[in-house]
Amino acid sequence: MVFAWKAAGLTYNRYLAVAARAVRRSLKEEKRLQAERRGEQELRFAKWQNGKMGELKNLGEANAAAYTQAAGGSAPAS
Amino acid sequence: MLSRAARPALRAVATRPAAPNAATYATLREIEGRLKSIRNIEKITNTMKIVASTKLNRAQRAMQDSRVYGATSNAVFESAETKALESDKKKLLIVCSSDKGLCGGIHSGLSRYIRRRTAEDPNVELVLIGEKVRAQLGRTNAKDIVLSFAGAGKDIPTFAEAMNIADQIILLPNEYADVEIVYNKFINATSYEPTSVEAFSEEAIAASPNFSAFEVDEELLGNLREYALANSLYHALSEGHACEISARRNAMDNASKNAGEMINKYQILFNRTRQAVITGELVEIITGATASEDM
Repeated sequence: MVFAWKAAGLTYNRYLAVAARAVRRSLKEEKRLQAERRGEQELRFAKWQNGKMGELKNLGEANAAAYTQAAGGSAPAS
Repeated sequence: MLSRAARPALRAVATRPAAPNAATYATLREIEGRLKSIRNIEKITNTMKIVASTKLNRAQRAMQDSRVYGATSNAVFESAETKALESDKKKLLIVCSSDKGLCGGIHSGLSRYIRRRTAEDPNVELVLIGEKVRAQLGRTNAKDIVLSFAGAGKDIPTFAEAMNIADQIILLPNEYADVEIVYNKFINATSYEPTSVEAFSEEAIAASPNFSAFEVDEELLGNLREYALANSLYHALSEGHACEISARRNAMDNASKNAGEMINKYQILFNRTRQAVITGELVEIITGATASEDM
């Protein structure tokens, strides 16, 4: 059993995030605003190599890039 | 810290009134300036305490919910009796702290715990969430760090954050025998304890004795593992956040109290010094007057 989203290079968490976003967006206006706040994140991250900190990057963008790469650059990530 | 820094100055000021008059006026003004600055600090700490208090309720509610959530997620592994596999692969420790300080020793508590762990078993790599532990562990354990995150814990952690972090950790190139999430466990309003929760690797889940009872397809294990990692991270982040807020409330409460004590002390010192200056002046005037009368 191979899922379409797995074949497209998404992780399960990403799949959940996309599904959750779709549900949030289909809510009624006042509930939607409240719910969409739960989907926000503004994390930044840095990779370390040999005890040196790399560049700080936006996590959401980096993840999206990783998915497109995993999908062979064919499928858009989100 | 405040009181420690100010104490030598207090002693210096207290001994000075014996000096000539010109200096006494200066110390009076000095004391006044000090008083004013301490009052300002008290105001700030008090405000921070109130802010933390209002946030605390929400954070605690989120923590309680996430605790149930995390426990439910872990129930699978408990009943499957999953255990970490013994192997020579590296262990991954995920440290959940945050970016902001001024909350007592909760960040350094985590750092100390990690240092102890790395001293016992150096075969680990670290993922750090939050600027504070990054600064602290970057000094001592820099070569073990593989990833660091910033910007978490500004508000109550969301599941979206946990998912994104989990994804980035899964994308790490190395294979780990075991993933452990280290966070501050909330015991009560004044005590926290660095605790760890394990997130198992696929092999560990597959090898657990009772796992066949669940009748899960082998292919789905990867999904379960990713999801469980996000769940545990969410739990750890929420609990850590609640601890931080509660610790900040306590720290600011103490700081306000200390500032209040200092204000009292300085007020008394100020009054005494003023009294002494006035008395000194009176003595001078009277002496002068008697001296000129005699002439």
